[in-house]
Amino acid sequence: MTTTATGLLPEPFRALEPWVTDWALATREERYQKRLSKTIDELQAFYDAIAPLAEDAIAYLDTRDVHALSDQDTRLLHLLYSMIMTSYPVNIFKQPRIPDSGAAYFDTAVEPAL
Amino acid sequence: MAIQERLATGRGKYTPGYPDLDTGPVSYEDSISEEFFQAEREAIFKRTWLKVGRVEQLPRNGTFFTRELVGLGSIVITRHTDGQVYALHNICAHRGNKVVWQEHPTNETQGTARQFACKYHGWRYGLDGKCSYVTKRDEFFESLPDDQLAMPQLRCEVFAGFIFVNFSTDAPPLREFLGEKLTAELESWPFEKFTNHWSFRTKVKGNWKIGIDALLEWYHPAYVHGRFLNTNVAEAEKLVPPMDSYHYDLFTPHMLTSVPGPPVLKKKTGSVGPAARDMNWAYRLFRAGLFGPDDIRTDLGHLTDDRNPGGIRAWSNDQYWLFPNLSIQLWGRGYYITYQYIPETVGTHAYEVDIYFPEPRTASERLAQELVVDSTIEFAMQDTNTVEATWSQLNNRALQTFHLSDMELMIRQFHKVVRDAVAAHQAGSEK
Ligand code: FES
Ligand SMILES: [Fe+2]
Repeated sequence: MTTTATGLLPEPFRALEPWVTDWALATREERYQKRLSKTIDELQAFYDAIAPLAEDAIAYLDTRDVHALSDQDTRLLHLLYSMIMTSYPVNIFKQPRIPDSGAAYFDTAVEPAL
Repeated sequence: MAIQERLATGRGKYTPGYPDLDTGPVSYEDSISEEFFQAEREAIFKRTWLKVGRVEQLPRNGTFFTRELVGLGSIVITRHTDGQVYALHNICAHRGNKVVWQEHPTNETQGTARQFACKYHGWRYGLDGKCSYVTKRDEFFESLPDDQLAMPQLRCEVFAGFIFVNFSTDAPPLREFLGEKLTAELESWPFEKFTNHWSFRTKVKGNWKIGIDALLEWYHPAYVHGRFLNTNVAEAEKLVPPMDSYHYDLFTPHMLTSVPGPPVLKKKTGSVGPAARDMNWAYRLFRAGLFGPDDIRTDLGHLTDDRNPGGIRAWSNDQYWLFPNLSIQLWGRGYYITYQYIPETVGTHAYEVDIYFPEPRTASERLAQELVVDSTIEFAMQDTNTVEATWSQLNNRALQTFHLSDMELMIRQFHKVVRDAVAAHQAGSEK
């Protein structure tokens, strides 16, 4: 039985379905909160899972009309946003927060619908 | 060749070229004194044009938004049925209630309305502020001046899609205040094409000018930010272009600096290679970095002859400082950012960062935008934290003189312009 194939993501990217609940998040605020709630090991695990598929995922989404994405495609795009959200912690900071930023926090007052 | 040698011009120091600027130690009393803060509010914020929003926030007649400007007032910005933009004091002519708010009177709000109704006794106002209906009118007296009842208008002018207000009735018109250089160079940028908008807001425990100081110099990036890009400080220093590669133009009270940046990546051909825990790999994958997307759109018309007025090499962006508290940064790679610092008390300010891209045509364009936005905000958090650490110590007055290098000439100028404005106002009102 192919247990994880629930159709949450476009077919070539179904291997990423276990990450959908945590990381296919529509707003930057949710993605940033999720990042702060994770350990660096957990962030690395997500980054390492999506990074090898990212180039194909971008190429796939570029064949779609970005203003009329299906729910599956939108989730894939959100996962890529989350990859960006985790890339500085994983690649540079080695911790979930940027160093020496204390309690600094920006509220997102406006962001694009997509 | 390293960016340091490649961009160096050997032009020598900038500050001595401005006869009004000295090169001596400075005091930060202007940023910690309660008395100076009050004087500054009177002399500057109550009589200078202040940006409060953009026309895209008022897309149709009948739309409005409010601004809560601590120490200045609550105002409502509207687009009335005549299509014009108005700014109104958010106060009811009956007994002074705040007219426009939702749930929490101190929170900003926005929406669409045919008219505003005061929540207290139901008086109604058009979006130009004129009172259109008094409930139980018959119970009032002859003295009620029906024709004059209004939420009072304050001066409101639009420039390049930015909405400005002025709390004074005798300030010069907005365009005159901005001057020819600013109006010409800013108006050539097609702001209306940059509608994919992010807005970030925070409160900073520090004087608003100390916040601005952190954006006025390119001395700190290697130390505040660069050491996380490269833990070897000597290497981090090499990431920042040399001091003499920038362009400065201090045209009082406004200023401009043009900033160099790294070259764009080559056009994408083939794969970016195997996945890696490497930020440079991520930059290549998403085709963007700290200085913007790598695939520059040519259909926006944003790269006019007005850009890079100082003709610097490796130009990246023009940063216009509009007195007193607004930076408009025009980035060559096709986006603009505004930074605004709104004083609340001598030791706190609201800080707003707004980033505007064109509507993306593809997922990869949108992803490049996401990376630029994320990078900008990451580093802004280090800045605000540093501002808080600085202001708290200035406020203790253990030291009272400080030292500005040539790299910090805009800080020297900015504080002088503020102090001069306060002094001029005080001299004028003593007459
Ligand atoms: S205070 Fe507004 S109607 Fe009375
Ligand atoms: Fe900074």
